Amino acid sequence: MLADFFRLSLKALSERRTRAALTIIGIAIGPLVLVMMSSVVGSYSNYIEERITSLGQNAIAVFPTENYQLDEEDLSYIRTINTISRAEPFYNTQGILKRGSEDLKVSIFAVDYDLLFDAIGSLQIREGSVPSESNIIYSIIGRKIAYKDNEKYFGLEDILTVTIPKIEGGKITGKKTVNVVAGAILEEYGGALIVDPDSTVFMCLEAGRRLLGLNKWSGILVLVSDPADVKPTVSALRQHYEEKVQIIAFSSIAEAISSVTGAINFINFSTSLSAFAVAVAGVAATMITSVMERTREIGVMKAIGYKSSQILLMILLESIVMSLVGGTAGISMGVAGAYVLSSQGFTIGGIGESGLTLQLNPLITPALIIQTLSLTMLIGLIGGVLPAYRASKIPPVVALRYE
Amino acid sequence: MPEPKPKSSKPIIELADVYKEYIVGTVSTMALKGVNFKVYEGEVVAIMGPSGSGKTTLLNMIGLLDRPTKGNVFFDGIDVSKLNDNILANLRNTKLGFVFQTFNLVNRLSVFENIELPLIPKGIPRRVRAEMVKEALARAGGEESWLRKKPNQLSGGQQQRVAIARAIVGKPIVVLADEPTGNLDRGSAKMVVETFLNLNKSGHTIIVVTHDPEVANCTEKIYVIRDGEITGEFAPNKAESLINK
Repeated sequence: MLADFFRLSLKALSERRTRAALTIIGIAIGPLVLVMMSSVVGSYSNYIEERITSLGQNAIAVFPTENYQLDEEDLSYIRTINTISRAEPFYNTQGILKRGSEDLKVSIFAVDYDLLFDAIGSLQIREGSVPSESNIIYSIIGRKIAYKDNEKYFGLEDILTVTIPKIEGGKITGKKTVNVVAGAILEEYGGALIVDPDSTVFMCLEAGRRLLGLNKWSGILVLVSDPADVKPTVSALRQHYEEKVQIIAFSSIAEAISSVTGAINFINFSTSLSAFAVAVAGVAATMITSVMERTREIGVMKAIGYKSSQILLMILLESIVMSLVGGTAGISMGVAGAYVLSSQGFTIGGIGESGLTLQLNPLITPALIIQTLSLTMLIGLIGGVLPAYRASKIPPVVALRYE
Repeated sequence: MPEPKPKSSKPIIELADVYKEYIVGTVSTMALKGVNFKVYEGEVVAIMGPSGSGKTTLLNMIGLLDRPTKGNVFFDGIDVSKLNDNILANLRNTKLGFVFQTFNLVNRLSVFENIELPLIPKGIPRRVRAEMVKEALARAGGEESWLRKKPNQLSGGQQQRVAIARAIVGKPIVVLADEPTGNLDRGSAKMVVETFLNLNKSGHTIIVVTHDPEVANCTEKIYVIRDGEITGEFAPNKAESLINK
């Protein structure tokens, strides 16, 4: 019987195909926007969260403010905090690497290698091996330094010439050129957001002082035993240092980004709901008109024995069919739109010279499709229920007299 | 599916002291005033009366489409006045067939789909329905070649035959017709009346509301209604004088 009602509903819609088509277009806008935006925002936010999470959820970086200098005393204090498993200082500076005729802007980190690989768990060696801590001229270089447009430029044991600022008494007094040897090349890391290993030269801690001539620690990298200890450790450090240092926990950044992307998703969902609300009105208007035009027909149906519930179902099926078609069309267009939108790429400023451009496939999941389709079907139900109810309640005698 | 029964002394429809009042705004109109009326199984009767006399209201009561303000309506011995809408719908679907003056066919559906409409709520499989539709159309004097056509591709007489087929496809006990020849030429009207008489011969009880004395004269009994009251039961061949009285 349901199949027959479905067939009768399709026939009714096909009779008013222009009106039905316009209503379907109105319905399709909501799912189109929801799928397109959610999948694109979802893919970028997932990627960013994944990148941040890969930096290590138990790592904390402590940076001195302008008027404070971290020293052995600070390091000793930090190591006494019982939640902390390791703490080591690091040096960080920017440099210009000569690559043929090209000047490449790079970051230089002088850090304990073990701590580095513990903090950034997904960092992997592609070629060579981690140099010994005593071999200060050996370095680990990022993929973008060794390769230019997928073509290898620097190999193992090659010498890299880097120009770094010369700092005396806290001020830049000139330039200094240092030569380092490529002891290992990293696997491509992808667009990192806080550190960019692909464009970084990593050296041992001792190289920072002896080779680069840096006499002030850029910060102290801290690892806690358990990610759950990050917050109490940050609180303890803040309580101790107050405004003297800046403390950055990677997990907090991940949380903050998660909140931001959550907010973006919510805004997107709310915007889509507006489109859905308009669709409800469209469906209701179409169905009310349709019911009015078919009042006499409804009277005949009742006269020949259709129950009110069957009339209600038949009219409701029309709005559900429109929603199903509109939802399917909207989702299909949303998927296509998401791929078009994603192909444009998304640039995050402040990372590297021209920012970090991400080009990701949209995150189209079965859950997103099912949720969107369900929401669209709900539109049909909400928009159709009142006209269907009114149709079902028309007394047959009144309906048969309707002109 | 009950087959139509032969004529009997048992009233299939009985109206006992039925009143029907319509109130529009502050104006009250008594469309039926204490109507007592019986139709026996297997009869073919006509209801005549001038415009506004209450003919259609009476037919609506008989057809279980409306409820009396006062009084009782019995169908096959059961007082249906207080039954709920779903039971009434079920009775209309299984025991009654309707034919309207303006045919009331659905033009977007084919002739086949129009005729099978009453069978859908019964849950009869489509294959069985196809046989029933063909049989009903043949009994209504229609042709199988019409089945794929749309009603508006047929003449008025042909459309009324399709409407009759729709009314009888569920094998009802009673067929109710409201001015069935009102929109037809004489030739088509004659064929429609013949169809009703044939249906009566096969056991259907036929109740026809009509203005047309020629149609009324073809029935066994004529009831005349004036100002909401049945003024009498008459033998046929008096229809002309009854309507002009």
